[in-house]
Amino acid sequence: MAVIEVRDIHKRYGDTVAVDGVCFDVEAGEIFGVLGRNGAGKTTTVEIIEGLRTPDSGLVRVLGLDPVRDHRALRTVLGVQLQEGALPDKATAGEMVRLYRSFYADGADPDRLLGELGLDDKRDTFVDELSGGQLQRLSIALALVGKPRVAVLDELTSGLDPRACRDTWELIEQVRAAGVTILLVTHFMDEAQRLCDRIAVFDRGRIAALDTPDGLVARTHGRGGASLDEAFLAMTGADDEGDGLDDVLGGAGLDEADRARGDADGQVWS
Amino acid sequence: MVRRDTAGLVIPLGLPLLLLVMNGSGDSPPVPGLDGMSQQLAYVLPMVIVLTIATVGVINMPSFLATYRRYKILRRLAVTPARPSMVLVAQAVVGLAQAFAGIVLVVVAAAVLFGLSAPADPLGLVVALALTTTAMFALGMLVAAVSPTPNAALAIGLVSFFVLMALGGGFGPRGNLPDGVAAVGAYLPFGAGLDTLMAAWTGGPLDVVQLGALAGVTVVAAAVSARLFRWE
Ligand SMILES: Nc1ncnc2c1ncn2[C@@H]1O[C@H](COP(=O)(O)OP(=O)(O)O)[C@@H](O)[C@H]1O
Ligand SMILES: [Mg+2]
Repeated sequence: MAVIEVRDIHKRYGDTVAVDGVCFDVEAGEIFGVLGRNGAGKTTTVEIIEGLRTPDSGLVRVLGLDPVRDHRALRTVLGVQLQEGALPDKATAGEMVRLYRSFYADGADPDRLLGELGLDDKRDTFVDELSGGQLQRLSIALALVGKPRVAVLDELTSGLDPRACRDTWELIEQVRAAGVTILLVTHFMDEAQRLCDRIAVFDRGRIAALDTPDGLVARTHGRGGASLDEAFLAMTGADDEGDGLDDVLGGAGLDEADRARGDADGQVWS
Repeated sequence: MVRRDTAGLVIPLGLPLLLLVMNGSGDSPPVPGLDGMSQQLAYVLPMVIVLTIATVGVINMPSFLATYRRYKILRRLAVTPARPSMVLVAQAVVGLAQAFAGIVLVVVAAAVLFGLSAPADPLGLVVALALTTTAMFALGMLVAAVSPTPNAALAIGLVSFFVLMALGGGFGPRGNLPDGVAAVGAYLPFGAGLDTLMAAWTGGPLDVVQLGALAGVTVVAAAVSARLFRWE
């Protein structure tokens, strides 16, 4: 049985269709990627899986649980990193992990977990004094402290430098090796390629393609050496909406310039 | 998890102290049967104690929780097994520490600056203090539960606070209010807390109906706030 089952979910906000008929299964022990540009509906989809949002229609099961009806049971087996979620500034990393540990009947040892995540010496550091990478690792620690069977991580490495990204990826591989099924949301091709067993490419609320990283590349480019990058761009289409920022800003700039040219030094603008 | 809210302590600690210092003395006869405590102080001290509890409970706690909601801190908690009641209780524990500090401050100040007598009915005082606190905190949680934004929480909190205080005798004796209004105010948490604390301190009989009103507010407001609690 799949660990996560998503069947034809739909969600709209007023006129905005955020998710438009998404279906996929995540198998036990898999790292499953949800890849797509900003606004593609990734966060909405995983937050429906987490039970934070309710779909307009469709069905979701996580380990056989309904995220809305069985939310209590689900929260004890699901570890979550939210794209939009925060920690209080004036709590220390150690306090946060101990607090979150206290929510679960069974869980990891807070000190050991912090050690594993390289936050040993940050135990007494306030949240607002952690670097981006450290904060991200703390957030992963909080997702894992309840020893979840499934982890959903949204925009895990956004805002991290390349080095911190790589460290985080290694960590995720270790988490998977420990038997946790992972649903990973990202808009980075290299991250998806490196980590995921399978990837669902989201485009405008739908899944444009679902395959292994190699499979996705092969689909668009036959065999020869193309990158997932190119495959992704081919699948999600060109940026064809609107006139483009260039036109909008350039136009305004020119108007300004025309007016400015009423004076002498018009050359500056051309 | 909620702390170092130093700016937020200015009002609950400072305002009652200020009011006590300004109004604690005054030419009023001593309370009969107590060794020297003036009737003025016998009114003002319970008043500033209730004021402390009310500012922490009805103003500070809700705006804090609403800020947590605003910054998505509660949203993160929503995907853990933590229950709303745990969050509310954790917040109340912090509020309790703040209120306790404030009460110690005004009592010590009253003892040092004015002739404070020991309470005539210590047990009654504990009961009145406990019920006043639970009632004010439960009301605060209700404000927190229904406020969509930190601004709304502050506004609703302040309005509730001033209404309770005005009807309860915080701006002068309730005797100056219209009869009907004064009667209602006597059973709202500020008035009921003030009367029962004053009675316990000076040895007057505690009004069981007022204590019951405090307990009732506690139960109803706490239950409704746990029901209406929103994570985001
Ligand atoms: N709470 C919300 N209210 C209104 N619109 C929303 C809300 N959440 C998401 N949307 C819209 O739904 C679309 C998908 O958003 P989201 O799921 O956050 O995408 P992604 O995570 O892929 O960037 C976007 O157009 C976004 O503006
Ligand atoms: Mg997103």
